[in-house]
Amino acid sequence: MVWKALGAGALCALAALPLSAAGFSIFEQGSKAMGMAGAFTAQADDPSLLFHNVGGLGFVEDRQFSVGVTWIHALKADFEGDNPFPGAGYEAEQKKLSEFPPHAYWVQPINATWKFGLGLMTPFGLTTEWDNPDEFAGRFLSTKAALRVIDLQPTLGWQVNPRFSIGIGAIARFSDVELNRNVPRIFPGLGAVDIGKLNLESDFDEGFGFTVGLLHKATDRFSWGLSYRSGIKVEYGGDARLTQVSTGNAAIDALVRAGAPFDRDLPVETAIDFPDEASLGLAFGITPNLLVETDINYTGWSSFDKVKIDFTDNSLPDTTLPEKYDDAFNYRLGLRWTQGNGHQWRFGYVYDETPQPEEAVSPLLPDANRNGFTVGYGLNHLDLAFMYLLFDERTRSRNFPGEGASTFFGTYDTEAILLAATVNF
Amino acid sequence: MYRLKTLLGALALALLAPAAVLAQPDFTRYVAIGDSLTAGFQSGSLVVTGQRNSYPFLIYRQATGQSTGFEQPLVSEPGIPGQLELRSLVPLVIAPRPGQGSPTNLTLPRPYNNLGVPGARLRDTLVTFTGGLHDLVLRPSGFGNTTALQQAIFLNPTFVTIWIGNNDALAAATSGRVIEGVTLTPAAQFDTDFRALVAAVATQTSARMAIATIPDVTVIPFVNTVPTFITNPATGERLALLGPDGRLTPDDRVLLPASSVIGQGGVGITVPLPDNLVLSASELSTISSRIQAYNNTIRAVANERNAALVDTNAFLTQAAQGHVGVGGIVFTPAFLTGGVFSLDGVHPTPAGYAFVANQFIEAINARFGGRIPLVNLFPFVFSGTGPTAAATSTATAADALSEPAPDFIFTEEARQSLLQALRIDPDPKSPSDENGGTGPKGGKGGKGHKGGKGGKKGKG
Repeated sequence: MVWKALGAGALCALAALPLSAAGFSIFEQGSKAMGMAGAFTAQADDPSLLFHNVGGLGFVEDRQFSVGVTWIHALKADFEGDNPFPGAGYEAEQKKLSEFPPHAYWVQPINATWKFGLGLMTPFGLTTEWDNPDEFAGRFLSTKAALRVIDLQPTLGWQVNPRFSIGIGAIARFSDVELNRNVPRIFPGLGAVDIGKLNLESDFDEGFGFTVGLLHKATDRFSWGLSYRSGIKVEYGGDARLTQVSTGNAAIDALVRAGAPFDRDLPVETAIDFPDEASLGLAFGITPNLLVETDINYTGWSSFDKVKIDFTDNSLPDTTLPEKYDDAFNYRLGLRWTQGNGHQWRFGYVYDETPQPEEAVSPLLPDANRNGFTVGYGLNHLDLAFMYLLFDERTRSRNFPGEGASTFFGTYDTEAILLAATVNF
Repeated sequence: MYRLKTLLGALALALLAPAAVLAQPDFTRYVAIGDSLTAGFQSGSLVVTGQRNSYPFLIYRQATGQSTGFEQPLVSEPGIPGQLELRSLVPLVIAPRPGQGSPTNLTLPRPYNNLGVPGARLRDTLVTFTGGLHDLVLRPSGFGNTTALQQAIFLNPTFVTIWIGNNDALAAATSGRVIEGVTLTPAAQFDTDFRALVAAVATQTSARMAIATIPDVTVIPFVNTVPTFITNPATGERLALLGPDGRLTPDDRVLLPASSVIGQGGVGITVPLPDNLVLSASELSTISSRIQAYNNTIRAVANERNAALVDTNAFLTQAAQGHVGVGGIVFTPAFLTGGVFSLDGVHPTPAGYAFVANQFIEAINARFGGRIPLVNLFPFVFSGTGPTAAATSTATAADALSEPAPDFIFTEEARQSLLQALRIDPDPKSPSDENGGTGPKGGKGGKGHKGGKGGKKGKG
């Protein structure tokens, strides 16, 4: 109960976002790195190293504290239908949300060799919410889906030698999930009619994992880094609640009411297997003021195979949503230009592959490959970054075997912008 | 990335285009051969509101983009016979609308495109031109007593669909009696006749074909809805119903119209249910195996003739397992609230026919490289103006609450009306039952259907 209240409070500013990185991951955890489209594994030279590469922790010389927020806003989130359902000519829109996930980091040398860090970050999250939910053709699949994640990560860094450092951290992940949809029933001569709304809210539950990284400043002009964040499984408890929607006919409403568990808490269990993630970064000092980094990230999304919702008291039948995600790569290129007066400009590009197979594209979570273009600026204690995120159009035109009832064909078209600010002291 | 892919794709398509265009299935002159399922029969009636959504018409419209050029033997409301309706909601009573409609497209100077004849068995397409609703579709007086096959060939079709054989097993399923050669067509005869039918189309026309399998009639709500037991409302104890051969087991089946007689005068409890309202487990098994045999023939012939094979048998099985639907709405064969079957428990709803049309279109596209767009199911899924229009009942909520869990009454009236429209004897007798009976009823194994000699014409 307490956790739930705390979680709700702490996360209201945080968590839910429209898909800033592929799948439901969020790679924007610090404004300096974001300015370079997250190509930061081989630099890892600000406190957000706790996310990007804990291998950088060993190089920390003094105590630093960093706190920031990212504003994520969808400019466009459209859907156009196709036959057989919801049909050619059908159009719908998601609510164009704004969310504000924060990040906060503290790094501190213990002695010349050992360093300590504590990070708070939101590497996963998602909200998909449809406009006019009671008329949306996909309302029996999803009207709103929200996933909120916050990681707390105590980390230890070891400066092995002046050029090489290793880090290791423990990740405590706290998360909750909300899934809402309408419930239909077919009546002779009338077709499908809404008879209820099913809202599922999980508790604020936890899972644990770890991260390791290394950073090698091979020469004054070249460094490379390797980072790994483990997969984490979070098992959620919680409740669903079925509320009735009147059909307009009292006799029918009474029959419907007698046939389903309305207006009481229905205990549920579900789980999400968050993927592991590995990054390799190569940074080249072209000139003393110009640095280029290229990163490749691998995310083990095949862990996200299905979402099973288990009604533990059998009040309703269990449901399984097949997802069958594929492991995916993303590629980042960042440029850092430092002017003499201490101003630093950053530019970046990221290509983010979607792990989601076509058959899993749905109103609950429609993902696509994305191209992100970034620009950032830093001076003294402040870093700012801006990203324009252009999603490929994503079309669903087929189903997993046996999943014909989930048919919802059409094309999704999304665009988003991100703006971040981080203060360091 | 997307743009590059579409460019490459467009290039590839342009290179392949000539070949692709040749392969496109041509629906300029499309003829549908079949039975009541092809005609758009719905809720016990042949009526324009159902015919407008017949699967052949939907296929034609999707393939050509036009609503004219596909002629059907339209019948005005309330249809022939009067369509079944929900006469009241509480209690839920299903009965035919009074009166009868009339044909509105009778003077078409050529055969109809939709040659689906309600009640036709396979052999009827080859030899029968009159009797019951045959007359309405084949118009013997105007068309020189020609059969469905002959009229189909006459139209010089570019595409032919064939979905026939349902009634060869349906008579057994709906009359509750398996009588070889009378209510159930022998497999060997089916094989011979089916091959003859398809051979005629293949050799006497240049039409491409799509051929459909026979759904397992034991999955239809007419057979699958009424439980084999009754429940004591006070104790929750179940009492197996009494059938013609003793207490029923869960593997037996009670037919839909039994809902109007169970409990009355002790029927089903102390007085056995009549044979024509019960299908025993062994009768079911005989029917199912026979349908499998029919389907073996159909699959083999489709393969030999390079026709698209539409597996409606698999589709209905999928529906029974909850795998059919759209947008999170599951369509099942359940009676009344399943969405696939209409009030007669045998024929689909408009939505059901639309799903069937899409099965045909998918199979045709797959076989012939077609790009026919699927039927848009949205208007079929969300139809009607709301449940306030549902029934004429004046029952209050209190009345509803005092009723037990929803029962329905499928009236004897409805049963007679449906079976007669399908030219199925509501109380068939096997040849051995008759002592010099009235001719056609006991007919030779070869004919296997009623009305061939005209004796039963009146019932249609």
